[in-house]
Amino acid sequence: MLFFRSEELIREWCRARAVEPRPIVRMDQLWQLAVTWYGARLEPVSRRPAANEMREIFARLGLHDAFWDPQADTFQ
Amino acid sequence: MGFDTAVKLTIYTFTAESGRIPSIQAVAQRVQTSTDEVAQAYARLRASRLLFLEPDGTTIRMAPPFSGVPTQHRVVVDGIEYFANCAWDALGIPAALHRPGTVRSRCEQSHEPLNLSVGLTGPEPSTWLFHCLVPAAKWWDDLVFT
Repeated sequence: MLFFRSEELIREWCRARAVEPRPIVRMDQLWQLAVTWYGARLEPVSRRPAANEMREIFARLGLHDAFWDPQADTFQ
Repeated sequence: MGFDTAVKLTIYTFTAESGRIPSIQAVAQRVQTSTDEVAQAYARLRASRLLFLEPDGTTIRMAPPFSGVPTQHRVVVDGIEYFANCAWDALGIPAALHRPGTVRSRCEQSHEPLNLSVGLTGPEPSTWLFHCLVPAAKWWDDLVFT
């Protein structure tokens, strides 16, 4: 899970490793993921989102691709 | 509060205060129990995917979003430097601490430095991007690679 300066640099990085580019996430989307995952992490009740919750979280941010499905078998 | 929750909170409080993930001895001292008891709690927290342990079962490699080892993703909050496990976790540290901070990392292809100010409501406007090679269903298959 890495930062990149541009889409072109992501494509270059993927080409150099002979891998397909994956869905790209903007900083504002990443912040929402960070808050959802970790906003309560220092509190007693915190826990990692369950699979169905993860799907809802990603969908709310427009991340609908099977890549984001925690139970997808597409990438087996 | 249950024992595992007390262990978890001790780990996170220690890390938030110091920037470093505590040793099992330090955790045991704070919760006033043995390291064996704490190791058993670690195993249960690992099963819940709240911790990632080194093979010895007693050293914490990741207490997400915090890293137990130095990484390229550094976050400074209130003068304390933290290491994040990845780009996602780099934003996760100010989110977890509910404090503004600065994320210092780099573009993985060009190595251009990233210095991103993060406020209480999110990062400053930025055209930087996040890319993850590993699909969500595989993240915990090899968390270090992910």
